[in-house]
Amino acid sequence: MMGELRALWAVVRKEWLYFVRYPSWWISLLVWPLIFPLAYIFSARALAGPDGSGLALFAQRTGIADYQGFIVIGTTFWMWQNTVLWSVGFALRGEQLRGTLESSWLTPTWRFSFLVGPSFVNMFSMVIFLIISVLNFGLILGVRFHGNPLLAMLVAIACLPSVYGMGIVFASLVINAKEAHNFVFLVRGLVMIFCGVTFPIGVLPEWMQRFAGWMPQTYMIHAMRAVSLANASFTDLIPDFVALAGFGAFWLLAGYLIFNWMERRARRTGSIGQY
Amino acid sequence: MITSMGSVSLSLSRPTLASHLRALYAIAQKDWHQFWRYPLNVVGFVIQPLAFLTPVYFMGLTFSINGQAAGFAAYSGSGDYISFILLGSLLGNYVMTVFWGMGYALKNDMDSGVLESTWLTPTPRVLLLVGRTFTNLLTTTIISLATLLLAALLFGFRPTGSALEAVLPAIPMLIGLYGFGIAFAAVVLMMRDANTLVDVSSYLVNLFSGSQFPVQSLPRFLLPIALALPLTYGYDAVRGFLLRTRTIIPIGAELAILVIFMIVMVWIGVRVFNHVERIIRARGTLGQH
Repeated sequence: MMGELRALWAVVRKEWLYFVRYPSWWISLLVWPLIFPLAYIFSARALAGPDGSGLALFAQRTGIADYQGFIVIGTTFWMWQNTVLWSVGFALRGEQLRGTLESSWLTPTWRFSFLVGPSFVNMFSMVIFLIISVLNFGLILGVRFHGNPLLAMLVAIACLPSVYGMGIVFASLVINAKEAHNFVFLVRGLVMIFCGVTFPIGVLPEWMQRFAGWMPQTYMIHAMRAVSLANASFTDLIPDFVALAGFGAFWLLAGYLIFNWMERRARRTGSIGQY
Repeated sequence: MITSMGSVSLSLSRPTLASHLRALYAIAQKDWHQFWRYPLNVVGFVIQPLAFLTPVYFMGLTFSINGQAAGFAAYSGSGDYISFILLGSLLGNYVMTVFWGMGYALKNDMDSGVLESTWLTPTPRVLLLVGRTFTNLLTTTIISLATLLLAALLFGFRPTGSALEAVLPAIPMLIGLYGFGIAFAAVVLMMRDANTLVDVSSYLVNLFSGSQFPVQSLPRFLLPIALALPLTYGYDAVRGFLLRTRTIIPIGAELAILVIFMIVMVWIGVRVFNHVERIIRARGTLGQH
């Protein structure tokens, strides 16, 4: 047990070193939370018109008057999932490309650690990302989050199993599919289109709304908007928490099972070192 | 090797206009083959703009009554926001491919380990990039047309003006853009790790030139940035001709700005490229990455 924990710690340290060795990541962490939502915020300003008359329609359809707050919460969750897909999803693939995966695989270590380690480092960087985002939104865009911060934190914690479970599933599939950039584009595209990142789900056609109900990001974004912009209480959020718990359990289990399947398959076919 | 042709002796290694044209053709052909070797990427290129267009379409519905965004019309002169944004996305494709495709053209060769050997051929080095421009323009046009077709089926596209006239501002805009791409490729070659620079700058250029919204809707303090970018007038003039939107300044003045942009950018692009190329040769960093 102690040996496994030391191995996990070594993976975390290695990933952390990679992270800090490329300082451009820090620039991304600082800049993207601010500039990414701007495209949608400016589009919303244009749609609202010079006298802001369209905002009344927006408030009527979303139940939230602060369109900037509405958009930045959606885009932040989108960026979170996007980053996890790229970093955790491509963690093993990166090892494969560098030629270190096979030798790591030969060590007497629980192989799941090679995925859990990058997830921890990503979680830490995402905490920094979320803090910077909230500061950016508050200080530069003037967005005011007036909900219960502890409840908002609870929502973020409830999102972790789904977000990282999906990342682990993705990482396991990428190791077999090799080049999988287009799958990232597909998954993040689905989140952008179906989960109400920049608009209320209610404007979608019926079939798209049903599809959105099967994606955890829909509940994450809804819950965070409700708590941060509409002063929702814990009781109001119970349906979202239940859904997120269900999705979280599903994606973590799926991640573990698919990883084990991938590992067995890679051992059988000897494809772990191929790229 | 010396070949005698009547009374004139010619060295086969001496570059001629014909050999330059052959080199250009070879470069364009190589890129063309490489592009179609990854068909899944092509599908991705077509679908990517739709993934960003669809949320804007639904966001527009949130602000509209019966599909007409009255607020948007007050800024642009047209309530058909989806045609406005779709056209911006298509032109934005060129901006993105200039930044990523052209900007990273030589860096990709560097990573694949073929740049040094290509550099040793008796071809003017700027031709290595001009050749790529042809394929890049052609492939981006194919992708943009496919995206337009798909988006028109999904959301509708209703041009009310003249497509032929819209080509008028598009030509100097694109040539100027590719001139910029040549300079940018040289800078990326020198910096080597420029992902964040390319990512952020391409996004900001597209954002502030109004690919997704009329720049008149920007906050007052950001408007000068938009007005300082020649691409803003390119987007605006193409929309003015094709969708009959209200332009920022008279369309003739926008065309003049675009022609100046084209001449200046091509000149700057070649100058910067030659200058950076000399620096890289002196440093001997061409093979390092």
